Amino acid sequence: MNAYTAVTRASYLAYLRDRTSVIFTFAFPLVFLIVFGMLFQGQSVDGGLSYINYIAPGVLSWGIGNAALFGVAFTLMHWRRDDLLRLIWRTPTPLPTVLGARYLVALGTGLVQAVLFTAVALGAFGLHLSGSWPLALPVLVFGITAFAALGLVVGTLANTPEAVAAIANCVMVPMAFLSGAFYPIDLMPGWLQGLSRALPLRYFDEGVTDAVGGRGGVALPFLDCAALTGFTLLFALIATRTFRWSNRN
Amino acid sequence: MSTSDSRPDAAVALNEVRKRYGTVQALDGVSLTVERGEFFGILGPNGAGKTTLVEIVEGLRTPDSGTVSVLGESPWPRNTPLLRRLGIQTQSSAFFTRLTAREHLETVAALYRLERPAATRALDLVDLGEQAGQRVDQLSGGQRQRLALATALIHDPELIFLDEPTAALDPAARRSLWEVLRTLKGDGRTIVYTTHHLDEAEALCDRVAIVARGTVLAVDSPRHLIKSLAAPTRLRVPAYRLGVEDVRGLPGVESAAVEGGELVISTHTANQVLLALGELVDLEEITTRTATLEDAYLELTATERRS
Repeated sequence: MNAYTAVTRASYLAYLRDRTSVIFTFAFPLVFLIVFGMLFQGQSVDGGLSYINYIAPGVLSWGIGNAALFGVAFTLMHWRRDDLLRLIWRTPTPLPTVLGARYLVALGTGLVQAVLFTAVALGAFGLHLSGSWPLALPVLVFGITAFAALGLVVGTLANTPEAVAAIANCVMVPMAFLSGAFYPIDLMPGWLQGLSRALPLRYFDEGVTDAVGGRGGVALPFLDCAALTGFTLLFALIATRTFRWSNRN
Repeated sequence: MSTSDSRPDAAVALNEVRKRYGTVQALDGVSLTVERGEFFGILGPNGAGKTTLVEIVEGLRTPDSGTVSVLGESPWPRNTPLLRRLGIQTQSSAFFTRLTAREHLETVAALYRLERPAATRALDLVDLGEQAGQRVDQLSGGQRQRLALATALIHDPELIFLDEPTAALDPAARRSLWEVLRTLKGDGRTIVYTTHHLDEAEALCDRVAIVARGTVLAVDSPRHLIKSLAAPTRLRVPAYRLGVEDVRGLPGVESAAVEGGELVISTHTANQVLLALGELVDLEEITTRTATLEDAYLELTATERRS
């Protein structure tokens, strides 16, 4: 077993054995979907999208980003607090291998979340999938990557589970509204629409919405992927600069 | 900093090592040599600088000044080939969450690029085979300590650092861990460990260093240390038989006080005092306790505790 496989296995086992956490990771976006779906059944938003085709990609991208950020941040915080990072430091295995293994878990979780969520949205709320829906797959991968990288930043900043939750919520809840995921961008004041361009969720949501709705052709989701890559690099840079092996000093 | 290779044959050679954190002088000119194959104890009050010392030796921190040589090499900056030869157990047990003991060790083995049988060997070494399938969070305190030791030993290191490996163990578990440690020493490994159990250091260590406030107060074998400090012998007599006043004037008595229903007499000339006491009470009523490493330790660190 090489180090990458071993840490991936360890991360998956740790994740799957925390049943409560698994259940709520998958239930959380579904709850939002059901609530929004019931509130706005049959309505449409600006641009002619049916409400479900607007809100489902928004809740999906937010829920997946949320899970990736929280998962990676908690893991990094725990590894540092329990001195596992120091254990890793002593071995010949480079840190990116270990973090890469944890990233695979985030990726797997996100893709399963997407399948489950889409099934419910299709079956219960009449989501319409356009022929270009497979374009949503690269957007999902790039979106999960960006939020996992943001998770590294949060996990580096926070020393306790409480701090992870506080920081991550403070980042993710306002972003849900400001990026257009929960609230249509067209209804926002102009300056807020501009601000939304500085948020990764804006591109994640937009990419998934366009792919699922068949808008903007093939090029548009790829522009969103490019923007998400930019965020990934930025977050990875911040995480590299602020990384700590230990909580002491 | 510069690195000493003046003693490449030594397991650890520190020379005038200093390290300061802000206003705290964690290490204030520490010089130590640990020979290969030696069982070396580091004793000292909390905050004496023991942890910093270990962190400098493994290369996690660099000293402000002084030289460090570990197995003839410089540990700083991160020296992966050297780290491969060190086994380090810190106080916090670093386990992969929600895994079984075996899964945890298999993961650590993979990080060291070892095959799975390394995990089984490590489990057997610390006698944890029966708990292999148990989750790390469900192990008892003693079992966790053993697993931490197995984690530190999985890659068959030459030089082993253990930070209070027997803290929080019951006496039986402590004794059985001693056996593991003696076996390791028997294999020719060098062991450096910190402890608060002075009886343990006396039983296990070839030499001990007593450290306080970032300086080494003494380094010697436990036996020599006790002797050189000339710590007094204590004679105990039931307090209902004799009072402080009865013995204070006797030749050789240095101090006398009642502790827990017993009169405790300190002396450096036990024979002389015993003779005198024999006139007053039946000799069978007197118990004698010769100086231990604990007495030496308390004497050496007395100023530390008073301040």
